[in-house]
Amino acid sequence: MTTRKITSEWILEPGTGKAIELLKGQVLRIEQVEGGQCADFNCFNLHDYKEFMHCGRTRTVHGFHPTKGTFMWSAPPRERAMLYILEDTVGRNDVLFPRCSAYVYEAAYGFSVHTNCHDIQAEAQREYGLTPDDVHDSFNLFMCTGVDADGHAYMTRQTTKAGDHVDLLALMDVLAIPNVCGADVMKTSNFALKPLKLTVFEATEADLASVPTTPVLASQRTPKDFKNPVIKSDRGLRRDPDYRPEFPNTPIVLTELPVALTAEEVTMLNAVKLTDIYGDDDAAALRDILFSWWEERFLQAHAGAPAIEA
Amino acid sequence: MNETIVKLRLNQQQLELMDRTIAQGVAPDRAALVRLALREYAASRKAETAGSSR
Repeated sequence: MTTRKITSEWILEPGTGKAIELLKGQVLRIEQVEGGQCADFNCFNLHDYKEFMHCGRTRTVHGFHPTKGTFMWSAPPRERAMLYILEDTVGRNDVLFPRCSAYVYEAAYGFSVHTNCHDIQAEAQREYGLTPDDVHDSFNLFMCTGVDADGHAYMTRQTTKAGDHVDLLALMDVLAIPNVCGADVMKTSNFALKPLKLTVFEATEADLASVPTTPVLASQRTPKDFKNPVIKSDRGLRRDPDYRPEFPNTPIVLTELPVALTAEEVTMLNAVKLTDIYGDDDAAALRDILFSWWEERFLQAHAGAPAIEA
Repeated sequence: MNETIVKLRLNQQQLELMDRTIAQGVAPDRAALVRLALREYAASRKAETAGSSR
């Protein structure tokens, strides 16, 4: 195996974060120094900060605990794979919880000032001209979470040890911002703040070859495709008097499709139609059956998630 | 033959998906696709019910 070439190393002290220019083909390792520490993570396209990592899209594709072999995706309408999780020695990350914030610690614990991931991220991102409003939902590395029977997300202690790590391979030039999670009065990091080690190294040929190919589709739009490609640079919102709506595929037009059912097929319809939803509207019930069948037979991804095999 | 006509209301996007499915050779036309869906869906539910009662 080819030896990895290290380009940078840092120790991330408790209460801090670091913005790192991670170029395509480089790997960021986020590593436990003592163990038991959560790392929050933000990520932007280095050349267009409006493209950023989106936990919502990432969790619909990879579930609540993305790990080795999954991607971090950018928000619509870009929806590109930004980073690939090349290695994960623990396999317990979180995309359910938002970053902790000053408000959380003031409202729930009474702190006027407390280390918190939002403010740590904002301070680290300030090095690149970003503002506190630019901090986005965090990918929470090593954070042990789940969903209880009532549908609430919960967090619990983690079992990571010194040396445990996650390797993130950049698939585009990004600004990667890990921070030591500021939560010391929650179970997130086992009630203590510890340092993390950051290492950047060049991916090997074998690393690059391990990345699955993802689709390149027309729907992955960039500013060149936008009707308004200019980033708004003031804060107030004012109506554009020249605005004329151009919503795609409108107007929606309904067409009637007569379908002749045999007596046997009517019996089938009566056996499976959802009368609690559609009542005696057999046409609506049959339409439901048509597209439910289509999902079962042809859909490659989880419902609501895109297929990511190229 | 005793037939019952059910008139589905479908929009242009739903029809496009149906037409692309038909183009794969799954069924000869839209009505046939709906009937195929009904038969396969009903058979699938019947199999599930039989499986869960064992």
